[in-house]
Amino acid sequence: MEDKLLVIRCKRGSTEALGRIYEKYKTDMLVLAMALLNDKSAAEDVMHDVFLSFVLNIEKFSLTGSLKGYLLTCLANRARNLNRAKRQQSSESEPEEPVSYSSDGPRRAIMCNEQLQQLSNAMAQLPYDQREVIMLHFQAGMTFRAIGKSLGISANTAKSRYRYGLDKLRSIFDNEAKK
Amino acid sequence: MKPADKIKELINKSDVATSPDADQRILAEALKHLDKLKRNKLAPNQPNIWRIIMKSPITKLATAAVVMIACVIGLSLWRTTGSGIALADVLARVEQVKAFRYQFFRTTGEDPNKPYSSETRFTVLVSQEYGWKGKIEQLDPNSGWSTFGEIYTFADKKTKIIIWPKQKKYQRMELDDVFAELVWQNNPQDPRTNLKKILACKHESLGRSTIDGIEVEGFRTTDPNWLGNMKDKVEVDVKMWVDVKTRLPVRYDFTYAYFDQMGNKKERQHFVMHDFQWDVPVDAAEFKPVIPDDYTGMVVKYPAHITEETAIQGLKVWVELLGKYPDPQIITNMSIEDEGDLAPTVLRLAEKSETPAAMRLKEEIKGLTDDEINNKLVDFLMPIRGPGRFLDILEADKKDPEYYGKTVTPKDTDKVLMRWKVSDNEYRVIYGDLHAETVTPEKLAELEAALPK
Repeated sequence: MEDKLLVIRCKRGSTEALGRIYEKYKTDMLVLAMALLNDKSAAEDVMHDVFLSFVLNIEKFSLTGSLKGYLLTCLANRARNLNRAKRQQSSESEPEEPVSYSSDGPRRAIMCNEQLQQLSNAMAQLPYDQREVIMLHFQAGMTFRAIGKSLGISANTAKSRYRYGLDKLRSIFDNEAKK
Repeated sequence: MKPADKIKELINKSDVATSPDADQRILAEALKHLDKLKRNKLAPNQPNIWRIIMKSPITKLATAAVVMIACVIGLSLWRTTGSGIALADVLARVEQVKAFRYQFFRTTGEDPNKPYSSETRFTVLVSQEYGWKGKIEQLDPNSGWSTFGEIYTFADKKTKIIIWPKQKKYQRMELDDVFAELVWQNNPQDPRTNLKKILACKHESLGRSTIDGIEVEGFRTTDPNWLGNMKDKVEVDVKMWVDVKTRLPVRYDFTYAYFDQMGNKKERQHFVMHDFQWDVPVDAAEFKPVIPDDYTGMVVKYPAHITEETAIQGLKVWVELLGKYPDPQIITNMSIEDEGDLAPTVLRLAEKSETPAAMRLKEEIKGLTDDEINNKLVDFLMPIRGPGRFLDILEADKKDPEYYGKTVTPKDTDKVLMRWKVSDNEYRVIYGDLHAETVTPEKLAELEAALPK
């Protein structure tokens, strides 16, 4: 309800409403971006792009679901493109290996707490496809059907990626506990 | 701990602090774009570069040739796909229409194996100049259709009048700009709203067919986003048919099914919009509600008349009815739900409750017609909107409101049920037993830390 009001006000040019949307969802967006990319600079850039794109298209934008879901799906799409670009870059220069980012970029504009760092590090050990499904399910609250639709895969494929991802996370967390 | 639980815990506890510089950088750029949009809206039309170019006879000829080639290619493509109607064009066409009439049927049912249990008919007249007028009728198996109410929304969208003839009552709602726009945009009984929603959802063409001798093209969406942010599983099947000649809607057909967490179908609804008459002549007098002198009425200024007291009063009615506080989703949906939709929702919730108030209500409505039930509920429905409307207003005023009806019960005398910011140093809190007090932010933090997770 509040989101619909905020979008209406944004369309009317309310800078306050835009600021409120940013404040309301920036943490969710950054947590998702960090979990997907494990790179503070990249996370900030992706959030920046998504937010600007939201403003640029605000006139045509019509809120049919949740604003949080919309912003997080846009963010996941951008992160996927970035990941694909990085994968192409690395495959051109090196043999195939899991893409990982440095946890700190050149700019350190954002500070993650311990739990987010732990989440981000654990996710970085999963193939990108699996971490994407897990985060969209848990953080954006999307159903597997919706995730499948958004990624252009079947709901069953989304579920499989989720299951494989959780299996792998189990061993990652077990190993951490043993240390 | 299971990995899924661990991930959930990490997500819940994850936090990230951005530097003021980063916020400033992102917001400043976004605000710059927003400002640009605002100025573009206000700016007078500037001569277009294409208009300047088109002054040249050579470019005119060249453009004509390109347009002809494009037409030939477009025609051949159109023939092969068999679909010539773009929904955006239909919306543009509908928005050009000055006035139109239509009928809207709604049938709802609890048990999917039984026939629909409630039927409502809206006869609607819409005018860009004068506003929106709807007559609500309900079907009684014995006596046929009878009038339940009349709704008028004036052209400025800010005044809404609802009349209940059998009760000899009326209500005048006066909305501020933002809420007026919100209610208008969410009117589920307006074909323009529904057309915009189809456009926003993933949709497909159903091809050509004939309805009442008119050649039509159908469109369909099964996108659950149609119903907004639903937490429960839903099935949506929305179809719309457009007159191939006029490019105007001929019929809408919506079916929704809601499922509980176990996957059982718990409710279905079916809507039909039909009998459209586009570009009809209208008379201003048709949009002036006639309220006889012996009707009693009230004026609700929204948001001015919605206060802490109305919120508490509404919460009290909810508790008496359900024995607990309603979920946040119900509270917010109730705030803008249309009059005709409120009664079935409340009855559905009351059906599962065994509180004295619910038992009394069920006893009182036993054997009554739908029409009589609705008349009985008129006084009851007003207060239950209160909490949702109060939360809307607090949200709009950025008072940082929260409602914890999902976990707090009427017995929780020391737990926060609802809270909002009064000033930088004060929060107002309504507790589970509905007493209220003003507390410091520190005290509120303690209270919220003690809430059940």
